[in-house]
Amino acid sequence: MIPANGTVGEKWNLRLYTAGQSPKSLAALDNLKRVCEQHLPGRYSIEVVDLLKNPRLAKDDQIVAIPTLVRKLPEPLRRIVGDLSDTERTLVGLQLRQIK
Amino acid sequence: MEPISADFEKELSLLREKLEEAEDVRRAIARGEVDAFVVGPGGSGRVLLLANAYQRYRQLVERMQQGALTATANGQILFANQRFSDMLGVPLAQLYTAPLESYVGVSDRARLSAFLMVSARESRVEVELSRRDGSSIPVRMSLASFADGYASLLVTDMRPLQWPSLAVDALDSIRTSLEKLNHDLGASDVARDSLRNISEEINGLARMIDEMIDVEGSERKR
Repeated sequence: MIPANGTVGEKWNLRLYTAGQSPKSLAALDNLKRVCEQHLPGRYSIEVVDLLKNPRLAKDDQIVAIPTLVRKLPEPLRRIVGDLSDTERTLVGLQLRQIK
Repeated sequence: MEPISADFEKELSLLREKLEEAEDVRRAIARGEVDAFVVGPGGSGRVLLLANAYQRYRQLVERMQQGALTATANGQILFANQRFSDMLGVPLAQLYTAPLESYVGVSDRARLSAFLMVSARESRVEVELSRRDGSSIPVRMSLASFADGYASLLVTDMRPLQWPSLAVDALDSIRTSLEKLNHDLGASDVARDSLRNISEEINGLARMIDEMIDVEGSERKR
């Protein structure tokens, strides 16, 4: 699939802010991995930032609620708050799918 | 009607973006999709979990001497503690979403997969962990819990105990240094009292290690 605002072969850089293994953090990582494997196979990287270990890192991306996914690349930066259980919303938020 | 200035349009766009973000947070909270918040000004932020008890559990997991991890039924690691990362010699960040089987000896992979499948709920499995430096260590993986489709495992290093003898050697070395210091300090009563207290603490620590060796040894025999 060609992302709505991206190009084929472009590397996606995603950062997921979690709170250790809180249930929503685990679900978010699981859901994110599934979406990436389906829509961005072989061209994404996921960085998990555990804010229970380093709460100060929340400042970098102005995180207020956890889990939060931040798309660092491709630009522009995008944030999606929640456990990513709503796949449609996740795809739209990541701009992998146009708003219907 | 006057045309909208470029500055005004830019500001309007920024405000729209902020409103959308705020709406996204509100929506996620309303749908129960978040379970923690970052509170506090700027860099001094703290993470508040919605369930306080969880925080204590988390600290326990982080500090325990056993490896701990949570994986999906197909073996993808979603969480691991520092001890498990140390066992493998692989940075914690690299473990997230990595397949657990890639850190297990080839001949053990089928057994591990079977162990992780919900239908084959064995309570434990013994496998060889493949370390980054090429060495391997025998471990026992025990199923601690299975909830929401995720298995939480405890990983116990099955090698013969090594660290207690190293700790005892270190304590002996400290004891020798203290005796030398005691001799060098001469007749100061205050210094002697301090040294005596330190010696007693070291002896207490040595006894604790002995007891731990006994307990762990008997658990391994079981």
